[in-house]
Formats: sequence, structure tokens, C-alpha cells
Amino acid sequence: MNDEEMLTRGLRSLAAEMESVEAPEAVEAKVLEAFRAQRKVVPMPRRQSNARYWLVAVAAMLLIAITVVVFRWHTGTVDTPQQAKQQTSPESTPKLDEQQPSSPQQFVAGANDETTNPLPQRRKPRRIHAPASRPEVAQVANHVTNEIATDFIPIGYMSAANLQDGGQIVRVQLPRAALANFGLPVNMDRYNEKVKADVLLGVDGRAHAIRFVQ
Amino acid sequence: MNLKNDLSDSELLRLMLAGDEEALALLYRRRQGGIYRFALQMSGSKTIAEDVTQDVFLFLMREGHVFDPARGSLSAFLFGVARNHVLRRLRVEHLLAPLGDESDDDVPLVHASSELCPLEDLTRAETIESVRKAVLSLPSKYREVVVLCELQDVSYGETAEILGCAIGTVRSRLHRARALLLAKLRPAVEVEETGSATVKSARCFA
Repeated sequence: MNDEEMLTRGLRSLAAEMESVEAPEAVEAKVLEAFRAQRKVVPMPRRQSNARYWLVAVAAMLLIAITVVVFRWHTGTVDTPQQAKQQTSPESTPKLDEQQPSSPQQFVAGANDETTNPLPQRRKPRRIHAPASRPEVAQVANHVTNEIATDFIPIGYMSAANLQDGGQIVRVQLPRAALANFGLPVNMDRYNEKVKADVLLGVDGRAHAIRFVQ
Repeated sequence: MNLKNDLSDSELLRLMLAGDEEALALLYRRRQGGIYRFALQMSGSKTIAEDVTQDVFLFLMREGHVFDPARGSLSAFLFGVARNHVLRRLRVEHLLAPLGDESDDDVPLVHASSELCPLEDLTRAETIESVRKAVLSLPSKYREVVVLCELQDVSYGETAEILGCAIGTVRSRLHRARALLLAKLRPAVEVEETGSATVKSARCFA
């Protein structure tokens, strides 16, 4: 008998000898005892944690819903002047498109200002209900549409770089003779009357362009 | 007759994780023997084998959900867990090579057989004991393939799953392990052959 066969026989004998060997019963008792203890302890925290997760999820959904409602309501009031601006005629758009500031709302804020105060006034958006504000918006839009305006005429010292940061349009009244300064014809019969004009102010507070409105 | 006896290991595990104690008991009785023998043959210590068997099933109770049937059988999964526990215990207790240094609980596993005559029985018992000691003296990476493939009759494929290596690696380790075992057992074989020759000559002179 060679060595390999003897080794195989020896290993088989050892395996056969140990075939009936099993763990003592005390081990099974310990395992089952541990299982019972685990089953008693585990379910309670699970239920608590599930309830907590549901509570957090419901709270988060409520918060999201409230945020969306408030945002939409707030956006509706802020959009009102924008809608008015969109209804204005294309002729009223300045030719200096590439020089417009990044925030067009700053132009719009002053464009519909009917006061003669040359100082820029920033109005905070009022909290009004959207249905009530719509007739007012239409009225303003119609008023703006009825106006006839010239193109913006650049004022001498204006530079394009100055308008990159934004600007503001202010409605003013000027003597009719001012038309002549910009090369426009003047009706001598109405020489003493005043004419409305929109002045484009840069962030530096200086006038960069002007247009005349009738 | 209990209908759960026919359930597969995976189904019993699912029931056990759902809180069914009977499923755990069935699963334990079905798999504890292999786990215990594996731990005993790997460590040579009954104490370690009992602890490992208990730890394996406690692990299954706590982390049984990590078992994926698509990756292998539950038996292979349990052997893998047992292997990790055994190696950890051996590392801690520095019992990697207990040859010739039997502890108190290291009881020889060879029992007398009534079918053989006393001399043959003794020879067989000595052979088994020497093989057992030789297996225990192997380095762990060779010992585990011998225990799994030769003593537990686990297939090469399952052994590869348990050890996390390729089947080729299992084959080469087994080949190397057998060579080491032969080298360790050769003196004993020679002695055995010499001993048997002496007995024969004694009988001739008697």
C-alpha cells in the first residue's frame, strides 16, 4: 500500500470516527434562550423608530407644501409689474439691449412711475391678492401702451461698461426746449409746455440715456 | 410529523428571522453537527468548538438577513462564519500548532470499535490519532481545505465559496496539504510497518 492510499484511508477513518460527534445540548439551549431574549427585546424599538420616521416624513411634507404655497403666492404678487412690462410695445424697448443690466426688474420699477419726482423710488412688493391686482395691471398696461416714446438717446458721457451692473428708468418732466438739445424738432406753439421723458440712470446715479414720451 | 422538516435552509432562515423559534431549532439541529466538527477539527479544542457553534448561530439570528441565496448555500455561509470565528479564536489563544501539547479539553476522538480485534483496533486508533494530530499541525490555510474537503466532504466549489478563493487555489492547497501530511506521517507509517513486522516475527517464534 503506498503512502497516498494510507493517507486517504487515515483521513476517511478520521472523518468516519467524527461523523457522530455533535455539539452538546447545552449549546442548543443557550442559542434558543438567546433567541427568545432577542425576540422579546427587538420589536419594541422597531415600532418606535417606525413611528418616528413617519412623523418626520409627514412634518417634512407639510413643510414642503406650505413653502410651495407661500412661494407661489409671493411670486404672483411680484410678477405683476413684469406682466405689465411684457404688454408694452416693442418700440419702448431701449436700443441698448446689450448694455442692459442683468436685472430687468430694476428698469421696470421706474418705468411705470407716474410721479414727477426724479429721485429713484423702490417700492416693496405689496401683499395683495392676485385677482384684485389684475384690473390694476391691465389699467397700467393700457396706459403704457397709449404712450408714444422715442428711442433711447445716449447722453454724451455714457459708456457701455457703466450699465453692466444695472440701472433704473426715472420718469421726469423737462422743458420742451430740451428736445432741441437732442436734435428733435420743437413745436414752437407749445414751447412753454413741458414734455415727459424717461431718463436711464446708471448705478453711479448719472443719466446715461433719455427718451421722450408723449 | 412536522411539515417544517421539509423546508429548505433558506426558508427556515426566513421563518427564523420572522421570529419562528421552531425554525431556528430545526435549522440548528440540521447544521450544528457540521459546524461543530469543523470547529473541533480546526482547533482541536472542544471549548472553542462549542463557543464557535454558539457564536455562529447567534450571528445568524442577528445578521441572518445578510445571507444571499444567490451567492451560495446556507451551509457554505455558516461554514464561512465558523471559519472566521475559529481563526479569530486561534489567533487570540495562540493555538495554531497544538501538536504534542494537548490541553485539558483536548480529548482524543478515537473510540474503540467492537467489530475489530483489540490489536487492529489499537492500530486503527493510533492511525486516526496520528492523522488528527498531523491535520492540526498544518498551517491554517492548508488545514481548512483538508478539514472541509477530506473530513467534511464539502465539494471543491463550496470550499472555494467558503474560503473566498478560486477552485484552482483549493485544489493546489489540498495537494500541498496532502504532501505535508504525508511528510508528517511518514515516520509513523514506518514505525507502524516495523511494529507489525516485529509482531509477525514474534508469532513465528511463538
